Amino acid sequence: MRLFWELAKLSFQRQLTYRAATLAGLATNFFFGILRASVLMGLYGARPEVAGISLAGAVTYTGLTQAVIAFLSFFGWSEVMNSVYSGEIGSDLLKPMNFFTFWLAKDLGRAVANFFTRGLTIMLAYALVFDITWPSTVVQWLALGLAIVLSWLLSFSWRFLVNLTAFWTPNAYGIIRLAFTLSWFLTGFLMPLRFFPKWAVQFAYLTPFPHTVNTVTEVYLGLVTGPALVGALLGQLLWILVLIGAGQLVLRAGVRRLVIQGG
Amino acid sequence: MWRVLDLYRRLLAVQIRAQLQYRIAFWFDLLGTAGITTLEFGTLALILQRFENVGGWKLGEVAFLYGLIDMAFGTMDMLFSGFDPPFFGQQVRQGRFDQLLLRPVNITLQVLGSRFEMRRLGRIAQGGLIVGAALALTKAHWTLAKVIYLPVVFVSQVSFFGGLFIVGATITFWTVESIEVINIFTYGGNEMMCYPMHVYPDWMRRFFTFVVPAIFLNYYPALYFLDKPDPFNMPPFVSFLAPVAGLGVLVAALAFWRFGIRHYASTGS
Amino acid sequence: MDMSFIITVSNLQKHFKVSRHHRGLTGALRNLFSRDYELVRAVDGVNFQIRPGELVGYLGPNGAGKSTTIKMLAGLLVPSGGELWVNGCVPWRERETYVASIGAVFGQRTTLWWDLPVIESLDLLEHIYKIPRERFRHNLSEFREMLDLDPFLNTPVRSLSLGQRMRADLCAALLHDPTLLFLDEPTIGLDVVAKERIRQFIQHVNDQYGTTVILTTHDLSDVEKLCKRVMIIDHGRLLFNGELETLRDRFGGKRELVVDFAQAYEDTAVEGAQVTEREGQRVVYQFERGSITASELIGRLSARYRIRDLSVREPDIEATIRRIYEQRLLEP
Repeated sequence: MRLFWELAKLSFQRQLTYRAATLAGLATNFFFGILRASVLMGLYGARPEVAGISLAGAVTYTGLTQAVIAFLSFFGWSEVMNSVYSGEIGSDLLKPMNFFTFWLAKDLGRAVANFFTRGLTIMLAYALVFDITWPSTVVQWLALGLAIVLSWLLSFSWRFLVNLTAFWTPNAYGIIRLAFTLSWFLTGFLMPLRFFPKWAVQFAYLTPFPHTVNTVTEVYLGLVTGPALVGALLGQLLWILVLIGAGQLVLRAGVRRLVIQGG
Repeated sequence: MWRVLDLYRRLLAVQIRAQLQYRIAFWFDLLGTAGITTLEFGTLALILQRFENVGGWKLGEVAFLYGLIDMAFGTMDMLFSGFDPPFFGQQVRQGRFDQLLLRPVNITLQVLGSRFEMRRLGRIAQGGLIVGAALALTKAHWTLAKVIYLPVVFVSQVSFFGGLFIVGATITFWTVESIEVINIFTYGGNEMMCYPMHVYPDWMRRFFTFVVPAIFLNYYPALYFLDKPDPFNMPPFVSFLAPVAGLGVLVAALAFWRFGIRHYASTGS
Repeated sequence: MDMSFIITVSNLQKHFKVSRHHRGLTGALRNLFSRDYELVRAVDGVNFQIRPGELVGYLGPNGAGKSTTIKMLAGLLVPSGGELWVNGCVPWRERETYVASIGAVFGQRTTLWWDLPVIESLDLLEHIYKIPRERFRHNLSEFREMLDLDPFLNTPVRSLSLGQRMRADLCAALLHDPTLLFLDEPTIGLDVVAKERIRQFIQHVNDQYGTTVILTTHDLSDVEKLCKRVMIIDHGRLLFNGELETLRDRFGGKRELVVDFAQAYEDTAVEGAQVTEREGQRVVYQFERGSITASELIGRLSARYRIRDLSVREPDIEATIRRIYEQRLLEP
């Protein structure tokens, strides 16, 4: 257990050393945030609210989506793939720790660091520049905290699973990239899913993806309350369990293949 | 002159052959890129279905802007792949740029020929389809002048984005750490130019008018093509400044690139 | 400018401004406001001349200024001062025309296209160097045979073993008949047989075509087998520029005489040399180059004992060079 926290702490510290890259990333995030906010304002026109989201809420949404990018490694994560391709997986598997948990710990450190340096910072910058909304009740804040943690867990389990394709093909990078890109459409990253027609939303919810960004957005903006809120959080939990389970099975198959094939 | 073109053709042929080797991966990438462009546009279409317009511009009009920029950026991305800042930065760090300096061929040509991503064709084709759909949706009146000017605008846009890539690549001679910032101009510029510029805050619009002349490459020509009035009351000739803006940025970028090479030759890193 | 030399280097200098990074938090703040620069003299007044057809070894510890000199010679780097003429040109001023007359092989990475079969890379080079068709065909068939390239001519470079890649790179570097060849660690990572093959090829090229070769390497057996002349650089200054023999004579240290006696003598002492090893009938003597010659020692031994066989062992060049670095035997 202590090994877990040690790994997480190391990863956290390491992430903090990437100062220049963090600053560059922040500038990029902020620019895109302003871009998206402007487009949303252009879309809203004179309307005060659409699908239950006020203009201020929509602008806040653009800040939120930028804030989760680094936190959820939204634009790509191929560490496990690299480990398989470089052969490092051999020594990784020999460590006195479950392979999944090993990577989970490392990702936790990174995610927490990013939460502060490229998550909170963006929201604070947004608060200075725009009129944004905040969760209004204590329940909302607690639920938000929980949703954020669950979204990270879900994102990680999915990223881990997708990386396992490396066991079967040398072109895993292309597959991973495609998988990531497709996932963006379904997470509610481009626009809140509520803006889309019902059939599109229903389709999206067949996948785990909306349970990351879209759920966090809806909890933050107070769009889901009471039983719907509990439902949203449970939905996250359910998908987490499914993805972790799938990950374990696929990992076992992959390792078996690795051992038989000799790497 | 011919020799230069011949060499360029050969360098590209090498790239194409190498990519076609991985046939499955190539088709996978191509279809993936096409698919994603479709999804992107599909998202835009669905959103505009609900909102009806963005800053007063309807779907057809936005699609026109969007499709044209997609085509131009995709074409640039294919031709100027060698200058893609993260890729070029890596080449420099790994000593492969030195290899180019050891060959008796013009450096810029070699960098252009060092990478040619065929899978961008997916995006270019999709962009073309979107422009086609846009033209069907909009009721603008098309004259011969417009038909001639459209490809000019397209080429100007490719030059503009190409110039941005070249600037980004040159910056990697100094540092690779903050290279992500150039994304604001390349990918950020790309996304920004997909929408009518009047929705953006004043300071941003002024920046992209007077500092980086992006507005002359998409917005003003679009006003001309789509017969729309100018909310900023600029003189009408600004719609025809696209080649000036595009070429200007490219020429400035190449000057900066030459400066970067000279700097590299004096400091070696 | 004396045309009997292919390379003339006169008071060559290369300085780099390296920013000094401050440490700690206050240091980081200081970094933001001021940048202290340190002047690193990578090459600090180097002089040498090389005649066409020479095979010169260029040695020095890491960071001595070797690669900086080579980069300037190759036209990749602009000197901070001094003069540099190669093949009658100033390399960095006329890059595009100049590099057509040189070839380069780097042990650490290939000059060929990674995904392409070797032959396609070579074909591309034909056009890049504007090699006349007949000449290209002639050179290619010769090198194919000498370097035994046929087994992997159609294999992509990324699938080649290190030895195969080196051979392909050598072929690529020589196709356009360069007058000057730079070799940077050409035998690194290779097994003994492969090393020998590469060395033989280099020797052949130097003998047959008169190609001037500059060899930078840490493998001193390369130097021993190929170079008659060596230059040693350290801290940007040339410490030594002359024959390998001279280097050995002056700094070689002890030589060894290995003697197989006709019988196992109990006492094998002799004046002027020390016994360092002894096994049965074989005795190894160490003696100073300056104090006694080999023939004198042999004379003394054969006067006292019956000798069946003997051989002289020269000091290891590696040990010699190490001694020079460590004991600072050469100061600029």
